[in-house]
Amino acid sequence: MSMLNTLMAGLIDARSRAKTVLSMNRRNLHYIYTRNERKYFPLADDKLLAKETLIPLGVRMPETYRVYSYFYELRDLEQSLQHLHDFVIKPAQGSGGNGIIVIAGKKGRNWLGISGKVYTLFDLKKHITDIIYGVYSHDLGDKAIIESRIVQHPEVAELSLLGLADVRVIICDDIPVMGMTRLPTRQSEGKANLHQGALGVAIDIDTGLTTNASFLGQPIEEHPDSAIQLIGRTLPYWAEVMDLANRTAQAVPLKYLGVDISIAIDGPLLLEINVRPGLEIQNVNDRGMLPILQGMYEHEVVSK
Amino acid sequence: MDSNSSNNTKRNIYIVVLAIMVLLPISVTAYKLYALDYPLAGLIPTHSYNVEVSMQTDGHGEAINIRTYLPKTDSRQSVDNEHNSSGAFTTEITSDQLNREATWHADSMRGQQSVLYAYSVRANHVRFNIPPALTIPDSYPAVLAPYLVAEPGIQKDDPEIEAALRRIVPIHNPTILEAVTRIHRELQDNMENRNFSGFTDALTALRLGEASCNGKSRLFVALLRKLNIPARLVGGLVMQSGSKRTSHQWIEVYVNGHWVPFDTINDHFAEIPANYLTLYYGDEVLFKHTANVNFQYFFKISKQLVTRPDAQSALSQSMLNVTNFYAFFERVGISQNLLTILLMLPLGALVTVVFRNVIGLETFGTFLPALIASAARDTGLLWGMIGFIAIIIVSAIVRRALDWLQLLHSPKMAIMLTTVVIVMMTITVGGVQLGLFELAHMTLFPIAILAITAERVALMESEQGGMKVVQISFMTLIVIAACYVVMDSLFMQSLILAFPELLLVVIALNLWLGKWIGIRVMEFLRFRRLIMKRAK
Repeated sequence: MSMLNTLMAGLIDARSRAKTVLSMNRRNLHYIYTRNERKYFPLADDKLLAKETLIPLGVRMPETYRVYSYFYELRDLEQSLQHLHDFVIKPAQGSGGNGIIVIAGKKGRNWLGISGKVYTLFDLKKHITDIIYGVYSHDLGDKAIIESRIVQHPEVAELSLLGLADVRVIICDDIPVMGMTRLPTRQSEGKANLHQGALGVAIDIDTGLTTNASFLGQPIEEHPDSAIQLIGRTLPYWAEVMDLANRTAQAVPLKYLGVDISIAIDGPLLLEINVRPGLEIQNVNDRGMLPILQGMYEHEVVSK
Repeated sequence: MDSNSSNNTKRNIYIVVLAIMVLLPISVTAYKLYALDYPLAGLIPTHSYNVEVSMQTDGHGEAINIRTYLPKTDSRQSVDNEHNSSGAFTTEITSDQLNREATWHADSMRGQQSVLYAYSVRANHVRFNIPPALTIPDSYPAVLAPYLVAEPGIQKDDPEIEAALRRIVPIHNPTILEAVTRIHRELQDNMENRNFSGFTDALTALRLGEASCNGKSRLFVALLRKLNIPARLVGGLVMQSGSKRTSHQWIEVYVNGHWVPFDTINDHFAEIPANYLTLYYGDEVLFKHTANVNFQYFFKISKQLVTRPDAQSALSQSMLNVTNFYAFFERVGISQNLLTILLMLPLGALVTVVFRNVIGLETFGTFLPALIASAARDTGLLWGMIGFIAIIIVSAIVRRALDWLQLLHSPKMAIMLTTVVIVMMTITVGGVQLGLFELAHMTLFPIAILAITAERVALMESEQGGMKVVQISFMTLIVIAACYVVMDSLFMQSLILAFPELLLVVIALNLWLGKWIGIRVMEFLRFRRLIMKRAK
């Protein structure tokens, strides 16, 4: 009898908790379609357009050194790169971190990748050609951006030895809803993608305190590669991170956003914005975000 | 507020459109059903049997004749798609009032020769009610005389038959119902069934107290004729899937202007099941052939579901009818088959939507599962799925090879499509060589579908990795199977062909699903830790 009661109570609990989860259908219908007009999607897809739009409005992003849009421009590549030994080459419309080369030094006439790989001038020229061809964006024609390399803040770098970590803040109608940081691992091969095995660490957006962590869908307290304690830390420059996130959200006409930010040694930088931010952040935070979204607007609860 | 009132307008329009999409088709359907009297029963598919009679002889240079009976179309059974493949024999088919006879003749025949005669049959189950008050008439029209006389195997005037009749029907002047009931029950209940294929006459059956179908039927006919009730033997086939050599005999009794069937082997009283095929009437032999030619025969029977053509033609009689509407399509060369595929696509898409948005499976595109399911009509589900897997594997391998060569996207896709077409052609040729004719239809897999699949697979593999492609392929297969079951259902096809307005209901369901914000089944799994966690 008491077992049955416990079971029933458990089911009722589960049902009420299920109601806190923002589902895919609801996210698409009530948040993305109503708040993000398709004509503004290029702001999220094209990093060059994002830079052109946001930097004048006071949003800090990595400094662009050079953009290559046409093959003939490559003639002056050697000259342009001559004095650079710390830069990133990325496709303007790439996705999932594909097509990015990170250079962290020079070795004679050649360049040294962050993983230790040596790139000749020909290698870089070939890579930029591929980007312009559209190899990384399934389109005929893209642009290659050469920009400053972000040096992570040491407190972040300590957690993320294998690549660039980012902070994801969900912002709805200019109000921050939920946050996390994604840390590349050995499993994710240096990529900050949760599905590929990056660590997700939940952050209390008011204080910058890490509260939960999950790795491949399982709760975890220590970093799987370094055994560093993940929970109970405060991320550096947190007030500046939130300020940048809010400034970004206010600058774009997209009203349901994932803002991706990197915390560099001298403060946060915007990496990109995402118009279809994923739902996994709820698992990382171990709570559904629907009550927060609905709490902002009572009428949504009333009109279902 | 402005946006609020525009939202309210939008919401009201949505509700009105939804209501129209539900009410309009339902009222048109109801109008057709009640006012125009559409035969609803005609929508349920019926069974059809393909019957193949295979006959074989071994000749030694002599002339050979084979004679058998072919079924006739009558009010209960309809026979069509007849095929005669007689090899060296010439065929002659003659028909009289009762029976249709086929004779195959060869002047001089050596070695093994065979004749194959095939047809398809649809038959109904028929049951008669015999009025209890009906008495045995004193006289009948002259045409019934042959059904009242004694025959070599039907010794109706033998004293033993007469004595048996007095024992079985002891009443004076019984009604027809009393007489047939008592005789049927006696033969069914007190006489053993024997699985014996030889000839048994009425008297022998009576003396032995046991008989096979032909003995029981002769005894039944003899007893009835003695009572002055016309009766006749019927020879035919009980149609079941498989091969068989045994034919069957039952009887028909003339009651009040109708020939009413009885079978005392399988206990069918005044009724005949839908799988009984009538081949001939009278005390005849099914096969006659020249002696010493080692004559062999067997029946091969297969069963399939078909729509009822009579119901389709009945529909064309009514106003607002469908067949006239479809005649427009026929005029420009669009077959009913193609039209059916077209009409079933929305249903397949609906099934896919349910799997994607309610259950939460990912598929390659929204239409792809429905398109592949309709392509699988010609190959069957299994080969359709194998074809789909083949496309995925081929395109994945080719993409890897082309990636290594570093080609541009569009030419790469064109090479991939070409490879897929070549592979499909090869499978077809291989299928024909191996006699797997379902495989041969692989070429009919519409090229457009191949193109979409190949391109989507390639994109997904490069963006999300091979594991993701395997996962989504598996989920797509599940959805393809579900689409196939719905789209290949003859009931659904007949329903939509008869009531194409129901497609608006499909729109209505999609309108509703388009606003459904519930949690997908797979999301319950994804967020299970969050949902099922213990209260703190």
